[in-house]
Amino acid sequence: MGNLSRREMLQASAAGVAGAAAAALPGSVSLASAPSQDQINMRYQVFNVDTVQHMLNTYMELNPHVNIEAISVTGVDHQEVATKILATLAAGNPVDVGFACTEVTHLYAGEGLAQPLTPRLMDDADEFMEYYADTSAALSETMLYEGDVYQLMDNFNAANMFFNKNLLAEAGLEMPGKEWTKDDFYSMAQAMTGIDGSFGYGWINRFWGSWMPWIFVNDTNVLEEERAPGGEWFWDTFYAGDERAVGRGGGWRWPAPQANNPKMVEALEFVVSLTQEGLTPAVEIGGGTTLLGFFSGNKLGMTPAGGFWAGGLINSGLEPGSFDTQFWPEWKSQRHQLGVCGPWILDGGGQEDQCWDFLKHYKKREIQDALGHFTPLPLTTPTRRSLNTEERFGQTGVENWRVFYDTIDERPDTGPIAQPVFVVELTNIFTRYTGLATNGEQTPQEALDNMQAEMEDLYARNA
Amino acid sequence: MASETTLGSGRRNWLPAWLAGDTVQGIRRQRMVLGVLFLLPTLIGLIVFVLAPIVVAVALGFMKWNVFRPPEFIGLKNFARLFQHELVGNSFSNTFVMMAMTVGMLEVFAISLALSVHRFARSRLAYIFRTVWFLPVLLSGVSVAVTLSYLFHTDFGVVNYYLGVLGIDKVPWLVSSDIVRFSVSLATVWRNLGFTFIIYLGGVSALPQEILEAATVDGARGLKRLWLITLPLLSPTILFATVIDVIRLLQFFDEPYVMTRGGPGDSSRTTVMMVYDTAFANLEFGYASSISVILFLIILAVTGFQFLLSKRWVFYQ
Amino acid sequence: MTVINRLSSRRRGDEDVVERIPDWMPRSAADWLAMVFMLIIGILTIMPIVWVVTTSLRTPAESFTVPPEWIPRDLYFGNYLQVFDEIPFVYQMGNSFFVTLSTVVGQLTTATLAGYTFARLYFPGRDVLFWVVLATLMIPYQATLIPLFIIISRVFGLADTLWSLILPALPTAFGTFLLRQYFLQIPGEYEEAAMMDGANQFQIFRRVYLPMVAPGMAILAVLAFNGKWNDFLTPLIFMNTTSRFPITLGINDLQRYMMTGSISVVLAAIVMATLPVVLVYVFGQRYLIEGLMVGGLKG
Repeated sequence: MGNLSRREMLQASAAGVAGAAAAALPGSVSLASAPSQDQINMRYQVFNVDTVQHMLNTYMELNPHVNIEAISVTGVDHQEVATKILATLAAGNPVDVGFACTEVTHLYAGEGLAQPLTPRLMDDADEFMEYYADTSAALSETMLYEGDVYQLMDNFNAANMFFNKNLLAEAGLEMPGKEWTKDDFYSMAQAMTGIDGSFGYGWINRFWGSWMPWIFVNDTNVLEEERAPGGEWFWDTFYAGDERAVGRGGGWRWPAPQANNPKMVEALEFVVSLTQEGLTPAVEIGGGTTLLGFFSGNKLGMTPAGGFWAGGLINSGLEPGSFDTQFWPEWKSQRHQLGVCGPWILDGGGQEDQCWDFLKHYKKREIQDALGHFTPLPLTTPTRRSLNTEERFGQTGVENWRVFYDTIDERPDTGPIAQPVFVVELTNIFTRYTGLATNGEQTPQEALDNMQAEMEDLYARNA
Repeated sequence: MASETTLGSGRRNWLPAWLAGDTVQGIRRQRMVLGVLFLLPTLIGLIVFVLAPIVVAVALGFMKWNVFRPPEFIGLKNFARLFQHELVGNSFSNTFVMMAMTVGMLEVFAISLALSVHRFARSRLAYIFRTVWFLPVLLSGVSVAVTLSYLFHTDFGVVNYYLGVLGIDKVPWLVSSDIVRFSVSLATVWRNLGFTFIIYLGGVSALPQEILEAATVDGARGLKRLWLITLPLLSPTILFATVIDVIRLLQFFDEPYVMTRGGPGDSSRTTVMMVYDTAFANLEFGYASSISVILFLIILAVTGFQFLLSKRWVFYQ
Repeated sequence: MTVINRLSSRRRGDEDVVERIPDWMPRSAADWLAMVFMLIIGILTIMPIVWVVTTSLRTPAESFTVPPEWIPRDLYFGNYLQVFDEIPFVYQMGNSFFVTLSTVVGQLTTATLAGYTFARLYFPGRDVLFWVVLATLMIPYQATLIPLFIIISRVFGLADTLWSLILPALPTAFGTFLLRQYFLQIPGEYEEAAMMDGANQFQIFRRVYLPMVAPGMAILAVLAFNGKWNDFLTPLIFMNTTSRFPITLGINDLQRYMMTGSISVVLAAIVMATLPVVLVYVFGQRYLIEGLMVGGLKG
C-alpha cells in the first residue's frame, strides 16, 4: 500500500466494513462522496471549542482560506475519548490535528497515525528555539518515540502532594519543605488521622497518581525503562548547553515488565500498610470526583494531585488558601511521575503542511496564555515555564505553586508514567491487582507476582 | 368450511373486490396486506440500522481488526481463543450471578409495588409514590456515577454511616470480591426498579376486576388469591418483564462500569464490559465481536427457554 | 359502530362508589403492610435524589460530608447560573427535545403497527420475523456501535446531524414486543363483534384495538423519552459540533478539563435537564392511569 495515503487507506478499510454492511442491506447503496474543497478544511480535535476559541479565531483571521472544523470530544475519561477517536478512524474520517496525552502518544506514533515532526522541526528550528527554551527537557522527552518528535505540548501534570491546610492546622503541623521524607510523611499522616473522622492520606486506584508516585520515589517503575537511541539533533538544536538535557535520547522505551521486583513490592507494602493502620481510607476505583469531594470536605489530609487541582479545588468550593502543595516526599529518590498533553498531526491526511502551519501558531506564548484550561483559572499546568505565573496560580491561594514546574526543573529525573503502545490494557492489569492488594485479598507479593505474570503475557502477545 | 361464506353486511366499496371483507378469504387477504404494511417501517429501520451493523459485527468476529489497519480474516481463531480465556468465562459467570440477583429482586419488588399502589390507585399519595419510585430511572450518567460512589464508599459512604448508627460494622461494599456483586446488583435494582415497576403497573391496572371480585366472593383471599388468581392473570406481563429484564441485564454494563470498573480484581467484570474494554481499550475489535456473538447466542437460548417454559404458566384470556 | 358505543358506555364505571374516608387511608392489615412497604421503598429511592438536588444548591466541599447532610445550609443558586455561562444550555436542551420527541413519535408509530401485526395479523413467516426482531435486542450495543457509525457517516452522510440520532432509534424491538403483549391481552370477542358490524381490518385496528392499548403506548412513550433523553454514548460518537450537541454531552462538558469542574454545577445542569423528563412522566402517568382505570381492558 506504498502509494496509498493513510486517509485513503482508512477510507478503503471503512468502505470495506461499510460494504459488508451495504451487502447486508437490500438494494444498492452508494457511498457518500467527499465534498469538493476550494478552501482548506481542517478537522481539529478539541476538548471544548470554547477553550480554544481565541486560537482558532486568530488563526483563521491570519489564514482566511483555512476553515478549522472543531471536533468536540467531550469525553472526560480516557476511554470515552478513545472510543470517539477510534470511531472517526474506523469511519475513515479522522481528525487532521489531534490532541493526546502521554497515555496514547506512543500508541499513535507506533501505529503510524501521528506524523513524525522531526523534518519539519529541522526546517523551522529557528521558530521553535523560544518554545523549547521555555519548556523543560523532561517534558519534551516524553514526546519522542524511537528518535522522532511526534507531538507538541501545552499542559502537563506531575503528581505532587496536596495538603488540606485546615486539617494541617488542627493537627498543629506546618507545611513541609521540599526536602521532606517518607518518614516525615508518615508521622504527618498519623497526626492528621482521626480529626472528626478524617484520614491522613487518601488516593484512588488508577494509573497516574495512584500509588505510582511511591513507585517512582522508590526509584523503580512497573516496567523496565530504557532510552531509545537517536534524538541527538533535537537535544543539540534546542537544548544545547542545558545540563538537564544531558543523557536524554530518542524517547522512552519499556522493554519488559518488572511489576514484582523487590522495590515495587516494598512500595506496595508501604501503601497497603497505611490502609491497614487506618491512615488511608478504603482504596476505591474512580475518576477523581469523590477524592476531590472528600479532600475539600476536610476528610483527607494529603493526597496525590497536580496543578489541575489548583483550579479544581477552587471550583469545588474550597477557600483560596485552605490547601497547598509540595514535592512528593523523598524515599530512595525524589523522582516524580508525570503525564503531558498536546497536539499531533495525522499522517497521510493530506493537510499536513497546513496542520504544521497551525501548530506553529498553536505554540505561541500569547496563544497558549489564552487557552481556556489556563485562563481564567488554571485547570492544569502549562508546559511553558513562563506561563506558570504568580498572577495565574496566586488567585488559587496555593502558596507553593512554583512546585508544579520546579518538579521537572529541580528534579529533572522525573519521567512519564509508562506508556507503551498497549498502555490501556496495561492500566487495566495494574488497577486490578492493586485493588486485590489494597483490600487485603492478596498480599502485595502475590498481587505483584500475578500482575507480573499477566504483563508478561501481554508483552508476549504484542511481541 | 365454505370459502365464500358471507359475514356481516357493511362491505366498504372503496376496497378492491379481492380484499372485500365479506368473505373469509378476503378477510385473510386484508390481514396479510395490513400485516406486511404495518411491519414495513420497523423492518426497514431494523435492517438498515440494527441488523446491518449486527451482520458487520458478526463478520468482524472472524477477523482481526485494530482500526489502524484493514481487517484480516482469521477464521475461528477468535472463538478458539475465547473458549480458553479464563477472564471471558469468569465474566459470563459474573454476569449470570448478578443478572439472577438483580432480576429476582426487581421482579419481586416491582410486582409488590404495583399491587400495593393499586390498593390506593386513585389517591394523590399513590401519585406521589409512583413518581418517586420512577425518579432514579430518570437520573443519568455522571450523577449516577457520583451518587453511587458516594453512597457505597466504605469509609465515607452514606450507607455505611447509617448502618453504623444501627450498630453494624462498615461493609466493604465495593472493595471486597465477595460482596461487590451484591452491591452492584443492589444499586442496579435501585436504578431500574421504576422501569420494571411501570411495566407491572400497566399489567396490574389492567387486571379484570370482575374476576378478582368473583374470586373474593368464592372465598379466595390473601395469599391464596394472590397465588391462584392475581399472578396467573398477571402472567403475560410477568413474561414480558422478565424476558426484557433478562435480556437487558445479561448486557449489564452501566452500573458496574461506573462503580467498580469490574473490580476488585475481576469480581464484578461483566461480559459487555469485556466487550467494551476488548474493543476500545485493547483495540481487538474482532475478538470483542466474537465475545458478543457468544453472548448473543446465550441470550437467545435463555430467551427461547423462557418462552418455551411460558407455555406452561402464562395464561392469555 | 355499536361496538365503539358499547365500549365508551363502559367508561366511568367505578365512579358511583361514594367514599367517606380519604382514599389514601389504609383500611385493612394488608393495606397497612402495603403502605409501610411503599414508604420504605419510597424513602430508599428518593434519598440519593435528594442528595443530588441539595448538592446542586451548595458546593462540593459542603456535599461529601459524613454524616450526609440532606438539606443545604444556605441555598446557593450560583451553580445554576454558572451552567448558562459555560454551555449553550437552552440550545442543547432544544436539540434534546427535537431528537427525543421525534424519536418518541416515531417509535410509537412503528411499534404500534408492528406490535399489532405480531399479535393480531397473520402472514407466513410472521413468527420467525418476530424472533428476528426480538433477537436484535440481544447483541450488545457496544459491539455494533462502530459499524452503525460507519453506516451513518459513510452510507448516509449523516454524521454530526440530529438525524443521525433520530433515524436509527425509530425502529424499536422493545416497543414492538411491549405493544404486542398489550394487543395479545385484548380478548378476541371485540374483533368478532366489529366484524359483524362490517368493519374492515384497518378499521378494527384503528377504532377498536388502538384505543385499548393507549396505556401500553403511554408506557412506551415514557420509557422511550427517558432512554433517548439520557442517551450519551451515541451522541458522543456521532456528534462533533457543540451547538448541535444534546444536553447529555453539554453536561459532560461541565466536568471541565481533567475533571476540574464543580460537580455541583454538573448536578445543577442535570437537575434542570431532568425536570422535563419528570414532567413528561407526571403527565404520561396521568394519561396512563386514567387510561387504565376507565379503559376497556376488563373483558
